[in-house]
Amino acid sequence: MDAVSRVLGPDLLRVAVALATSTGAGACVSRKWTRGLSRRERFAWSAAAGLLVQAAVLLLLLAFPARPDAVRILLGEAAVALTGLVLSRGGGAGALSRRPASAREKAAIVLLAALAAAAWLVFFVGALADGMYATDYLAFWGYKGKIVFLTGEVPLRLFRDPALYFAHREYPLLVSFTLAALAFFLGNWNDQALALLYPFAALATLLAISGFLARRVSRVAGAGAAALASLCVFLYRPANAGTAEIPFALGLVLASSAAIDALEGGTASVTARLVLASLFGASLKQEGTLFVFLLAVVLALHLRGRARLVSCAALVLPASLHWIALYLLRGNQTRRDFDFTLFEPRRWLELPALFAQVVGRFLSIGAHEALLPLLAVAVYLLVTRRGIADALLPVFPAQVLFYAVAFSVSSFDPMYAIDGAFRRIAMSLFPAFALVLGARPASPTRAASPGSI
Amino acid sequence: MERAKRALAGLSLVVLAVSLVSPLDRDGTAARFRRFAAAVSGDPAYRSDRMSFWFDPDYAAFLDDVRRRTPESATVAVLVPRRPDLYKYQAYYRLAPRRVVEERWIGEADVVATYHTETGRGPGGIEIIGGRLWTR
Repeated sequence: MDAVSRVLGPDLLRVAVALATSTGAGACVSRKWTRGLSRRERFAWSAAAGLLVQAAVLLLLLAFPARPDAVRILLGEAAVALTGLVLSRGGGAGALSRRPASAREKAAIVLLAALAAAAWLVFFVGALADGMYATDYLAFWGYKGKIVFLTGEVPLRLFRDPALYFAHREYPLLVSFTLAALAFFLGNWNDQALALLYPFAALATLLAISGFLARRVSRVAGAGAAALASLCVFLYRPANAGTAEIPFALGLVLASSAAIDALEGGTASVTARLVLASLFGASLKQEGTLFVFLLAVVLALHLRGRARLVSCAALVLPASLHWIALYLLRGNQTRRDFDFTLFEPRRWLELPALFAQVVGRFLSIGAHEALLPLLAVAVYLLVTRRGIADALLPVFPAQVLFYAVAFSVSSFDPMYAIDGAFRRIAMSLFPAFALVLGARPASPTRAASPGSI
Repeated sequence: MERAKRALAGLSLVVLAVSLVSPLDRDGTAARFRRFAAAVSGDPAYRSDRMSFWFDPDYAAFLDDVRRRTPESATVAVLVPRRPDLYKYQAYYRLAPRRVVEERWIGEADVVATYHTETGRGPGGIEIIGGRLWTR
């Protein structure tokens, strides 16, 4: 039943409880390898781990004849949480030694935090003012979740029905499973209350940025980068509720922060965070696999010996195993978005012209819509000192370059595909980019080690 | 020099922030705050699917009627306008878990529902809100 005239409050509260319990389970699971991180970072890692735990519990329950509900999901999460607590026994939370902020710094932090909070509030209200209505939500992310919720299974027709040719059968399923799990917890499909997932993911993203930079750079840098990310209206807007981009931005921020820590020397905790970030990113969007592979290249270039091997494996293996699991679930799927025959030798000559056309469109968008912000970024990079995250800077243009290649082999008119999707997918990179920018003003002066206890 | 660099860095971040926030639609945001308040307070005039059917507000009632009249196990062919493609996606989404198909798979359908299309002007069927319905 769709909610068109139901009072929002009770359903919203129940979804909030579902997100809180999954985050609690995630906190227990991630406790061992988030010691020494700031509280805000621990919240973000717990949120991501919790969403994975919740989806795993859902799949487990769906494998049994009993229909998932709030009690069964809670019991499943409690079992996982208990296991996590037992496995992470011993040791307390690592204490962060923090240089006290000056009065001027405190004022700046308060101002920037208030700005980020205001921007987040605007997004929160906007996302929940209406039922989710994004095209991508209706056509696949929400559609698949609703089918799972209403049928109580993951029906094979989602992957085999020719009539669902538009529903991107090859896409990862974490967003759909999360929406379904929240609906099972809620007891009905209220696509307005379920939209709480998006402000929740946005909050976790902002906390991850500010917490990471507060630990590794300075509290002002953390507050500034979080405020900057929160103002990214092209990403944090109501029309993106229901799509994968907002949770995906969280995945990219977590993967980037773990990779930056890994650059300073891997520990078991950092490796575990790379594993989680890889799995989380790959489960949200196909581009997540690309991003973690690019991070693996960066780590391969900057690390040596065992640290290089372990860190790269921690990024590459989970994303690859996720792809294999998805393959087993849905079988081989054609990618209707892409015409891979363009990679065959007989069509190679077509590629340069298509690529030039796509890059031309990118440049046109950059010149007409983003010239000022791009210039601002260039100036900022020129006048600031090298930062702890600079090694990650090439990842962002590389990701966009791969988008250009992907658009070049589009099955449809590449211009149509670019105009429909490029801005949205490019802007999902922005919070992670803000993290890298925020790491630039100062060199690491903190005592807290990246591996953290 | 150091102070000038800091000032330039700060200025570039302000420019970046202003550019990022510039697409914000103030009137639209104010309207969303009002709709959110209406949703939370249980205002009877509020409908959460209003934005979903911006392209055709009457289409929601048609899909609701098709849903009421068809079993969940049915395969429903929906013959709806081709543009915008939201007609199709809304039908798939709103009629779930029914299997919804387009005209080219009409032979597999237990029920055919038409809305504002030429095909819907054929004989037979029953009149429903905004269209016609044929049951096989």
